[in-house]
Amino acid sequence: MSVAVIKTKAELSFAESFDHVQDRLPGSPAVKQARRSAADKFAELGLPHRRIEEWKYTDLRSAVKDALPVRVGDVTQMTIADVIVALGPLAKFETHRMVFVNGRYRKELSSADQLAGLEFEDLSSVLSSGNENAAGLASLTARDDDAVLSLNTAYMTDGAVVRIQAGAELVKPLLIAHVRAGGEPGFTAVRNVIDVGAKASAQIIEAFVSLPGAAKEGQANAVTQITVGDEAKVVHVKCAADTGDGITHLSNWMIRLGRETDYAGFQLTQGVSLARNQIFVAFDGENTKLDLSGVFLGRGRDHIDTTLVVDHAVPSCESRELFKGVLDDRSRGVFQGKIIVQQIAQKTDGKQMSQGLLLSPDAEFDSKPELEIFADDVACGHGATCTELDKDLMFYCESRGIPPDIARGLLIESFIGEAVEKIDDETIVEAVMEFARGWLSKT
Amino acid sequence: MLEIKNLHVKITEEDKPILKGIDLTIAKGEVHAIMGPNGSGKSTLAHVLAGRDDYEVTEGDILWNGESILEMAPDERAAAGVFLAFQYPMEIPGVAGLTFLRTALNALRRKRGQEELTTPEFMKLVKEKSAALNIDIEMLKRPVNVGFSGGEKKRSEILQMALLEPTLCVLDETDSGLDIDALRIVSDGVNALRSPDRTMLIITHYQRLLNHIVPDKVHVLAHGKIQRSGGKELALELEQSGYAEFGEKAA
Repeated sequence: MSVAVIKTKAELSFAESFDHVQDRLPGSPAVKQARRSAADKFAELGLPHRRIEEWKYTDLRSAVKDALPVRVGDVTQMTIADVIVALGPLAKFETHRMVFVNGRYRKELSSADQLAGLEFEDLSSVLSSGNENAAGLASLTARDDDAVLSLNTAYMTDGAVVRIQAGAELVKPLLIAHVRAGGEPGFTAVRNVIDVGAKASAQIIEAFVSLPGAAKEGQANAVTQITVGDEAKVVHVKCAADTGDGITHLSNWMIRLGRETDYAGFQLTQGVSLARNQIFVAFDGENTKLDLSGVFLGRGRDHIDTTLVVDHAVPSCESRELFKGVLDDRSRGVFQGKIIVQQIAQKTDGKQMSQGLLLSPDAEFDSKPELEIFADDVACGHGATCTELDKDLMFYCESRGIPPDIARGLLIESFIGEAVEKIDDETIVEAVMEFARGWLSKT
Repeated sequence: MLEIKNLHVKITEEDKPILKGIDLTIAKGEVHAIMGPNGSGKSTLAHVLAGRDDYEVTEGDILWNGESILEMAPDERAAAGVFLAFQYPMEIPGVAGLTFLRTALNALRRKRGQEELTTPEFMKLVKEKSAALNIDIEMLKRPVNVGFSGGEKKRSEILQMALLEPTLCVLDETDSGLDIDALRIVSDGVNALRSPDRTMLIITHYQRLLNHIVPDKVHVLAHGKIQRSGGKELALELEQSGYAEFGEKAA
């Protein structure tokens, strides 16, 4: 028996908007059907709330007060110079750049060229062409108990559909830039689908940034599905570095790793008031190395939640997790790390560490490790810490003439640096640190 | 000139007094040594001079060049020329030694109204000063003091002193943990900084450092007060007799 739940204003608005916009959302009849099912599912589930275990620290139902208008098309004026401003540190080095403004692909602002080894297309075209299965979107309605994913399936307007050929080695990173612009606040749903071929090597950067002058509020629902072929090597970075006041960032990474792959994912989250970063990883092949790390920076009343589910379904894989948060004022950071080691996954080697640095007595860091281990020959460990700035270190720096605010900055950079340096590329490390320094300097 | 007048110090938020009326004057250009048994308050004095807020001054004053420094924050005291060489120098993971040194040096130069050094100017200065202390510049590319042996950390403190050019150097048990060679290198480094414009306070447990860094005066700190003062021979006397006589004196 299901109890009829009274829907909130935001839930009703998201559910009802679908009828008004569905004809303007790209897709063949099959896609339209999938969207319809997803919208119905969302209407049934509503936004997740704290009585659902995975959402106990992040009650979206009460946190999301309003549904911003759903974006379907977008004609915001923008130039390449604007893109460069919005991208900040990420514009300082060469990349294959795909630019999306308010959820719509802008070829004229993009620089990616089709080249040997790298094929890409905008999701909107793929959905309309009827080719969505070929592009790996067959799992449009996977995990159908997740309301946030359903919302994405219902409303996704665009994204990057990328195929990196087997054996290809990308010399420049692929940059998928989602830019928020224009004075009108809106809800944007985007989905990237990335397939990395066997033995390929690539660096993929996702950016969620805004142009100065953009509305203070915004809601983004982003999904990236990535499949990594056998023996491939991927560095995957997401920089959610907005500068609004009332930005919601809901992100899902769904990752499948083949045999002997080397996948390192990193997420930076700053300048957002409400964020939920979900990362799901499934191992399809043995002897694979997974490294997930991230840094989240919160102030004011920001709430940043990172939730991982890593499923060791095959033997002999290694997983490492390192997430660090810096929390000021009354902000709150959440880390949930679920690691499943199935019975056949012998010789699994998994380690998890989450660390919070509280800059104020009202800040809070919640960490929930969850290890479900069914095999008996594994090495798994986890740890969590929560600290303040080390007073002895502060005194040491100040006694050398370094003023307190600069000393603070040095120590905070040192704290987050350990996680940022997991990115196996100095240029990208420097770009991420520059974003973080920008956030720090606004104290 | 350093004048410490009737200084009473306790641990912040506790009642136990540590320094119970220190009177000490060090004229400009002089090197004074403070010796004493464990728990006498020697390190406390060093940290109070640098402005550590774990300690509270309940009475008395500290005047540096005629001006009280009690209300000055640690970084302001550094700008005024105070430098504390730590007994246990700190490791700062993630902050490269060179970055730390350049940040500190340029912060001091800015406060003193001087131009900041450009990177090439800074590197030239560091190479010169670190060579004199037998410190490989590659070590300074690592995070501050991380992976350094005790002797390397102490040499690194003296390098900071050489770069920041303080006018009041407080060395807190700089000789602890040093072998004979490190002791010589550190002493040479400190002696190279002796000048008529530089005042030094050397806190030490053992007399042997004072063979290398010869003090103008020696004081014995026990039970929170200076119990005796004398010339450099006092250190040798103490080596013979130990601190027993001060243990018997009432606080």
